[in-house]
Amino acid sequence: MKIFIIGILTAFFVSCSSGKKPDDQEFLNSIDSTQQTAGVDEDVINSILDQIPSPLEISVLLKNSGSKFDIALLNNTENVSKYNSNFKEALNLGVYGTDLGYSNIFEQNQEGIKFISAIKTLADELNIGQFFDVQTIGRLATNSKNLDSLVLITTLNFNHINHYLQSQGRDNLSVLLLTGGWIEAMQITSQVAAKRKSKELFEKIGEQKIVLEQILLLFSFYEDDPNMAGLLKDFEELKSVYDKITINYTYKESSMEIVDGVAVIKDNSTTTIDITDQNVEEIRTIVNAIRSKIIS
Amino acid sequence: MKKIAFVILLSSFFNLGAREIEYQCNPDKLATDCIPKLSEGFNFLKSYKVDGVSKDKVEYSYVFMKGTQYMINLCAGGTNTDGIVVSILDKDRNKVASSKINGQFVTAINYPCNASGIYYIQYTFDEPSSHCGGSALGFKR
Repeated sequence: MKIFIIGILTAFFVSCSSGKKPDDQEFLNSIDSTQQTAGVDEDVINSILDQIPSPLEISVLLKNSGSKFDIALLNNTENVSKYNSNFKEALNLGVYGTDLGYSNIFEQNQEGIKFISAIKTLADELNIGQFFDVQTIGRLATNSKNLDSLVLITTLNFNHINHYLQSQGRDNLSVLLLTGGWIEAMQITSQVAAKRKSKELFEKIGEQKIVLEQILLLFSFYEDDPNMAGLLKDFEELKSVYDKITINYTYKESSMEIVDGVAVIKDNSTTTIDITDQNVEEIRTIVNAIRSKIIS
Repeated sequence: MKKIAFVILLSSFFNLGAREIEYQCNPDKLATDCIPKLSEGFNFLKSYKVDGVSKDKVEYSYVFMKGTQYMINLCAGGTNTDGIVVSILDKDRNKVASSKINGQFVTAINYPCNASGIYYIQYTFDEPSSHCGGSALGFKR
């Protein structure tokens, strides 16, 4: 009888084990300077990470506002060989992800293929290359008619990478990936805004105060990591400029109606953003300095 | 000793039963199914699992931006929305959008955002419901 019970208990504990594959373990062991912070509530971090908007929204805005594609705004793919730590690899995976999205939206497929290659290199270094379907993306990128599918599969791949990192308890890399993507989108937007002096782009830059606050909150969980703490200091300098910008929110009840089986909303709430040319210039300067550190 | 063995066996049986119920809910698949159902012109952003078995609500959050039009849809295993309601609430938890209007359930919300900020995407369940579904979020400008 004792053997019978031991057998059942053994089966129970085996069934409850994590079942990590060798690859997963290898990945966990591969983390160097980027350390996971103990005692952080991963659910809280993951829920904040999920809030961060896609850089793709900015690229679509830029295209719709009449901006032209500018390769000079993007990170040179030859820089990829410089990134030799998980910290730099994760940040620049985000940077190149934004550059790929920007190229895709502007239908610059040949440039896009270069970014796909850089992304694959960095993803492989981080042992997450299996989530980046380079063959399918490469094939879709050869024909501009595949734009929708290309954008979709790229977004899906990055979502899978983020979910995988979070599920492996490596949220810190996910934070870096999203931060790299955000700073690159900020850099592109602020450079374009400086040239065009567009009120819409100024407001878009001002709205990013909401995202910056979430990124600062995320970084506060990793203050014990010297790399993350260094980046946090840079972002706090950026925050000091954003502290001068105000976003005023006024709630007013929405109206809704059903059209063709869809609830169509009329949002009567508003936000107004107080941002000056001087604020935008200061933001542009600091964002450019942070981005230069990241891609160097 | 026989009693202990019986209790372990019995609990294992119920554990298996519970797993079977969980298995029937496949929110990952339902969330993926929802992506191609976003209306034409919307770029996919995120898919959400609505695994509300033994929960009153499932909630996510996202930063919506002024001037961007968002679409959130619903997919359920049963008929239509299976009693799942998706609502958008602002940072102060004022309801700004819902997929249930005047008692009528719809499978998608089209939300042209006029105020940037953090919003909650909340899934609740009108009984009877299996509390299991998926959802996708897209945008266009």
